[in-house]
Amino acid sequence: MKPLKATRENLRRHNRQLLLRAVYTGLANNRAALALETGLAKPTVSDLIGELISDGLLTEGGLGESTESGGKRPTLIKFVPEARQVIGVSLDNGRAFGVLCNLAGQVAAQHYAELESAQGNAVETLLTDVINGLVAQLDAPLLCIGVGVPGVVDAGSGIITDSPPLGWRHWPLSERLSARYDVPVYTGNSAELTALAQYAFGLNGDDHTRSLVTVLVTNSVEVGITLGGITCHQGGDISGLFSTVGENRLDMLLGWPAVQRRAAELRRQLPGSTLPENGLTYMHVHYSAVNGDPAAQQLGEELSTYLAQIMGWIIGLLRPDHVSLAGPIVNLGDDFLRRVVEKTESMLWPEVVRPVVFSLAYSGNLSAIGAAALALHRELDIL
Amino acid sequence: MSAMREINIITNNPYEVFQRDVIAGAQETAAQREFRVNVIQVSEPPRHAKDLPLNWESLAGALIIANVLPNELLHTLHEHGLPLSLISHQVPGTAIPGVMPNNRQGIAMLMQHLVIACGCAKPVFIQGHMQQNDGIQREMAFRQEAMRYNLNIPPDYYLPGEFIPALAAESMAHFLQTNREFDCVLASDYLMAEAAMRAIQAAGWRVPEDVAVVGFGDGPEAAQAGLTTVAADVVELGRRGARQLIGQIDGLRIRGLTLLSTELAERSTTRRK
Repeated sequence: MKPLKATRENLRRHNRQLLLRAVYTGLANNRAALALETGLAKPTVSDLIGELISDGLLTEGGLGESTESGGKRPTLIKFVPEARQVIGVSLDNGRAFGVLCNLAGQVAAQHYAELESAQGNAVETLLTDVINGLVAQLDAPLLCIGVGVPGVVDAGSGIITDSPPLGWRHWPLSERLSARYDVPVYTGNSAELTALAQYAFGLNGDDHTRSLVTVLVTNSVEVGITLGGITCHQGGDISGLFSTVGENRLDMLLGWPAVQRRAAELRRQLPGSTLPENGLTYMHVHYSAVNGDPAAQQLGEELSTYLAQIMGWIIGLLRPDHVSLAGPIVNLGDDFLRRVVEKTESMLWPEVVRPVVFSLAYSGNLSAIGAAALALHRELDIL
Repeated sequence: MSAMREINIITNNPYEVFQRDVIAGAQETAAQREFRVNVIQVSEPPRHAKDLPLNWESLAGALIIANVLPNELLHTLHEHGLPLSLISHQVPGTAIPGVMPNNRQGIAMLMQHLVIACGCAKPVFIQGHMQQNDGIQREMAFRQEAMRYNLNIPPDYYLPGEFIPALAAESMAHFLQTNREFDCVLASDYLMAEAAMRAIQAAGWRVPEDVAVVGFGDGPEAAQAGLTTVAADVVELGRRGARQLIGQIDGLRIRGLTLLSTELAERSTTRRK
């Protein structure tokens, strides 16, 4: 009997999502139109809409136009974005950064804590400290939680297969957090979630993108792929790949600790550099390079070469509409991106590269917003 | 019926604009959650917990505004398990949580507005209190944004203000006497920006025709002066701080900072090119 019950529940859940999505996307705004658009029987629609209204996710408000044949004007049904809230947290770039969103993805609060090289259980404790910081700010019941993690993530089971920066291996994160907060918890790779956030919430007015690849460079190097709105899990952490140009692993060339080490080497080799010894940021590299500092210019050249190799493989294999660079490295600016594109063109046929739109994703919380988007998508099938 | 729980708000001056608004927000949230609020004014930073006039019997937790208490004392209170939340302050090496405006985002918005929208290239920066987190973070953000736009800002273009409008006006007047070239002023808070604007106008300059002026934060004074700002809702800062504190009192372990977003309020002290 158990499987039958599960199937009925699944069907009911599926139909609820179907109706909710139809109202959310504006496909239909009354019971009759919902039955027509979804193909569900009118009594089923009425029953489920009643349930969604009682849950606060939908509300009735005003009357629509009557049909051409006349008759009673239908009661309009609206989506209530404030009915629930969702938490999205990303664990990359050395910190746990969380956002509290409503069901339309609007951010109500942000909370973060530095990871300070924490590993294993200590990371999970910090993660829950940050989630708690957002739980304290809830304005509505918590619907679900999404978490973005660097490394290999089994998004289906919510198990972190391997995340070297966090010291997690076969870590059942979703199960552990779900038991703690009593809500569904969804996990994904940080770069994939960054791509999802860009896809779900806009790419600087580029409305024609159907396929987007995001290259996220932090302490590691990761790739997120979204094709036609569907996040593909062929991406993820590519830090361990060997760069034939730099003759090293990608994270040993592009990861922030490696960039800092290389900057220090170049400063020693090229005296008079204005790159600071302490507190170096990508913004310093950008500023010094623009002002003719040879060490900063050399560093920018090397980084653009390594990135061009990654871009070359991505474009050669996937032919995406749009490639976006994300992470603090974007502070190297538009000139740096142009250099990456030039070098990519020199590796492939320029005709192959030119149709691709390249952009810098400046927002620092995209991965957390993507985690919230993932949770919303998985829980309500909206966005 | 159980006694109403009490939270303390500790401040150096409950009548200053910033502190007054934080307290108002915190009181609103506390009332909703059925907490009594006791505002404690501390003129001289106490060295020991016993020097604080706290009612330990009924005290559930404390909201501390800016750097009114020494870090060592905050550390001690936290170690003794008293729930604490810091408003616009951080204590290095402890896990005491806090609530702050997003200083980096706000300064980035102001700089983008000045440089990209208004075409300014020679900014003067009026510093906040450089022992306070907001003052430090806003200047760091200004320096980062200056690099983004490749602006070389000489050291004497950083004027002392310490979040005191009179000092900001004095520093601005002194800078004007040096006849150094500049085309905009960004102040670490809006009250200093307004004071600097008065000094600029008193010296015969026109705002925004000759000099654009902007400040961090927003309030009725800024709106009345037509000052372009980034709005960081200080009442909301108090509300969020109280929620964070009450969350801890109710058993949530919280570490890190809650950030409040900022929004550009474009008014008549800047003009788009």
